[in-house]
Amino acid sequence: MLITQLKEWTERLLPVALASLLCAAAQAAAPGITGAPGTPAFNLIAEPANINQPDGNQVYSWGYGCNPASPAPGFVPAAITNAKCPSMQIPGPTLVVTEGDTVTVNLTNNLPTAAGNTSILFPGFQVTSSGGTPGLLTQEAAPGGTVTYTFTATSPGTRTYYSGTQGDLQIEMGLYGVIIVLPKNVPAACTSGLHAANLAAEQFHGEKDFRLAAAAYDNPKTCYDREYLFQFSTIDPTIHQAALAQVNALVGCVAGAPGCSLQVPTEPYHPAYFLINGRSMPDDMDPNYAPEYPNQPYNGDPHVHPGEQLLLRIVGQDHWQHPFHEHANHVRILARDGNLILSQVPGSNPAAVDPNDLAGPALFTTTTTPGLAMDGIFYWTGRGLNWDAYGHNPKSTDPLATLSCTPDANGYNTGFASTDTTYSGPANTAVWDAVNYYEWCADHDKPLEAAPVGDVASGGPATLPNPNILTNGAWYSGSPYLGPDATVRATGPNSSFQPANTQANPADERGFAYMWHSHNEREITTNNVFPGGMFMILLVDSREFVIDESK
Amino acid sequence: MRAIRPSAGLIRFVAGLVAAVLLPVLPAAAQSFRVQCPTSTITHPVAANNNAEPLYRGPTTFTPGPNSFLTPATNVNGAIRCQQISGGDGYATMADGTQTYMFAFGPLSGLADIAAGRPGSEFPSVFNTVYPGILAPGDPATSDNTSAGSFTYNGAIGLAPDGDNGNAIDGHVDPRQIEDVGVMNGNIPAPLMAIDEDDEFFLTLTNVGMIMRPDLFEQHTVHFHGYPNASSFYDGVPDASVAINIGGSFTYYYLAPDAGTYFWHCHITPPEHLQMGMVGQIYVRPRQNRVPLGTPLYTALQWQEGDLRTACSPANDILCTNPLPAVDTGRAQADDSHTSTDRPYRYAYNDGDGTTRYDIGYAMQIHGFDPNFHFIGMTFNAEPFVDMKDKYFLLNGRSYPDTVTPGPMQTPSSDGAHHFSQPLPTIVNIPLGGRALLRISDLDVTEYQTLASLGIPMLVIARNAKLLRDQAGNNMYYKSNSITLGGGESLDVILDASDTTKYTAGSTFFLYTPNLDHLSNDAENFGGLMTEVHICSGTVDPAPKACT
Repeated sequence: MLITQLKEWTERLLPVALASLLCAAAQAAAPGITGAPGTPAFNLIAEPANINQPDGNQVYSWGYGCNPASPAPGFVPAAITNAKCPSMQIPGPTLVVTEGDTVTVNLTNNLPTAAGNTSILFPGFQVTSSGGTPGLLTQEAAPGGTVTYTFTATSPGTRTYYSGTQGDLQIEMGLYGVIIVLPKNVPAACTSGLHAANLAAEQFHGEKDFRLAAAAYDNPKTCYDREYLFQFSTIDPTIHQAALAQVNALVGCVAGAPGCSLQVPTEPYHPAYFLINGRSMPDDMDPNYAPEYPNQPYNGDPHVHPGEQLLLRIVGQDHWQHPFHEHANHVRILARDGNLILSQVPGSNPAAVDPNDLAGPALFTTTTTPGLAMDGIFYWTGRGLNWDAYGHNPKSTDPLATLSCTPDANGYNTGFASTDTTYSGPANTAVWDAVNYYEWCADHDKPLEAAPVGDVASGGPATLPNPNILTNGAWYSGSPYLGPDATVRATGPNSSFQPANTQANPADERGFAYMWHSHNEREITTNNVFPGGMFMILLVDSREFVIDESK
Repeated sequence: MRAIRPSAGLIRFVAGLVAAVLLPVLPAAAQSFRVQCPTSTITHPVAANNNAEPLYRGPTTFTPGPNSFLTPATNVNGAIRCQQISGGDGYATMADGTQTYMFAFGPLSGLADIAAGRPGSEFPSVFNTVYPGILAPGDPATSDNTSAGSFTYNGAIGLAPDGDNGNAIDGHVDPRQIEDVGVMNGNIPAPLMAIDEDDEFFLTLTNVGMIMRPDLFEQHTVHFHGYPNASSFYDGVPDASVAINIGGSFTYYYLAPDAGTYFWHCHITPPEHLQMGMVGQIYVRPRQNRVPLGTPLYTALQWQEGDLRTACSPANDILCTNPLPAVDTGRAQADDSHTSTDRPYRYAYNDGDGTTRYDIGYAMQIHGFDPNFHFIGMTFNAEPFVDMKDKYFLLNGRSYPDTVTPGPMQTPSSDGAHHFSQPLPTIVNIPLGGRALLRISDLDVTEYQTLASLGIPMLVIARNAKLLRDQAGNNMYYKSNSITLGGGESLDVILDASDTTKYTAGSTFFLYTPNLDHLSNDAENFGGLMTEVHICSGTVDPAPKACT
């Protein structure tokens, strides 16, 4: 990094970064709003407001929000706290409905008069509209007016919604959001067996269930244990400045009168802000509904425990593609725009014939595509590391260093009989409550280091260098090992951190940290400054750390 | 004249600064530069067996060892590989003749192999070899390679007997040699790495500093992009783990992941270090290559179910992408009459049906250089990320026509000494009637790139190091005449020239980008992301990959 940049970063970003880091570690979830069961109605409004960027800029934007004149919506997941739905937010409120629901959306246009009409498209649904005025793609709400859209949520999945009026400008300005349809019938496999065990393990440690459902689709291969929604978009600030200047110049003009419209060039496109859920790094790491971002309620701060199946709902909301790279493992793509990708022809191999077989690719880089939503499942278990990630040491006097590991049919410490993958007997609490629940047993007690200084097993293949030749990252756990107990054993109570080391991964966490980011790497900047932009940290936490997604 | 006295506050500040600097200093426990290449490990316990790939005769079985962890009992598979790379800077030559400054990795082991376009991942018996003379400063592979192939040393640069340990070869290095060779020896792409499934891989990154940018205190790292179930410690993200300071060596330790086309890069300030050139290729060969002659491939894939680490069951693992094929083709290892120069056959993945077989493989990395950014990177100015715009479009660090120049390309460094800067040509020579595997990765940091085949269709067999096979075992391969990748993606393509009536001996085809503005070398309206495909009249020599 250039000195000048470092200086700039220090002056402009560090206060924000530190504010972010000093916050209790935020976590994510996929929060949204709900309506009446079976017939949810959402009263949305399109409004202008400024949104915050980490360089201190306030960007004039337009967004959907909840109409303050209407009753407040319901909020999900139930465990989320501080939920709210402002009258303008970016992205728009995530609408959460159930398969088969009759969904009504009443949209009121509270944009500046010069912005003209606005509307919402719901790709993937057969929409009936009423009220409003005719537009090219759909019925629109004139300035001050309201339009109503009705459709049946015919099938589960994640889909985008966005403005159908002058989209090159209105979507750039922020008029987009997501609708999630939950499956009507959650397969039994998702609430028994390993998924029940994963939930029991969470509950033992006092964790709440932040899922919207236990399955993404009516398909037992789409069960999941945790979920996050990530919407990718960009901002070219010159477009927003031009829109604001014209809006200000046209205050008081009469809707539809000659000249009462915006003529904002949207090309050539030169974005400077690269957003996940409306925020740039490090703001995306602050909590959902954080008061610093009154119009950007959703964050991007994923956490997961080993073995949990993590559902990712990934949406492209701008007109560029972004190669979103998930460090740590691949993601199995389940569906595109709510359409499950299933095997077309059952195989002739009898063991493999299953109408629910998935056919989507497994990717380590999931390219977001304009207007496309995809669902995928990720997990991390440490299988194949060839060393014990927990740094167990059978010679230790620390009880957490001498835990046992009994492999199930797949080799993991889950408490299921090694011959029985459909085990549904009484809770094996001894295993489910253990810190090393879901450990990969083939590497249990297997050392990493040849001659470690701390209380971890020795005789392994690697020799770690003197810590002085290393620089520690803010999310470094302090040791190669997973979790606070292993890290303290490996490095002593003072750890191997340098005194000036900023620690975003607190002493009671010490998770494995992975960067999830756009791999068009210039997009992990904020207005020419690195770091920033489309950049999150996934934390894989040992069971000792309580993941609280309401934070 | 008034004496200038430091204030009490300043004294306290300076004292505090001194304390802050001194406090972290620990007793020197180890020298800063060092390499690691154990001849045996828990996983590969017999040193004599670790210098070649043993045949795959069945899954490894394990038994509890004396220290309670599992140790291999039968069928010890794989071997040990080691590689050393420098993190520093260098120059490369663009196809319009411009010399471009880079932040770059260079080879510090396997120099002869790298110069010949081969991977520099060596067995311990090769890596742990001390150079029998005095290495010429600069790039010894260029200065000593006055006649082709005369420089044959592939050991670790700097390796020296450890005087504190009975002159043992234990990873002790002479730092003088490392700096003599490692400074300004950057390559684009970074040194090629290749390992086999079940190998243990010890990759030492030695940070030699960037001599053209003495103002920078840059750390470097290696991110093994796509490594499944990675540990964050060896994932190379400086924010999430550790970064290696100038003057230090760090050895990354990996058990080879599932077969596939991966790639690697530095993860420090990625928009800067990737644009500046710190990008490389790594691929993992499948154990199916090592199946004994005549063994049915389907059976061999079933063997892999016997070790839970290598098992792949879609019912139990949602990320399993090479389950048993839906159709057992009955193919066995090298059982047909196809002529191949290097039996047994090679495969891209553990397919169980022989469908990923190839005769000759090519690693091919797409990248882009913005000359403005590289100039700024050399000249101490603030870097514009919003305005970053590539003007050189590179295949393995070269644009056409350099892509079809055989052998390594060299560039003089600031002291006038020549260094191999771009070791990899991208001439795709296919034996008559044969199949070429293209391992294509993209580390462009600004935009998506398309590569099209003018002629032979591309059979896409894998994406992101995963075989394209659904959970029912059906192959999802597809034919295309172009592929599109963003930065951070890879895929595997087979160019199948088995129809010799269409793909006749001596014919030439092209791989080029239909992003037509990328068919340029900065101001030259010519060149860019393009290379040639040749159908040989006979076979292809696997080492120089030339038609025979």
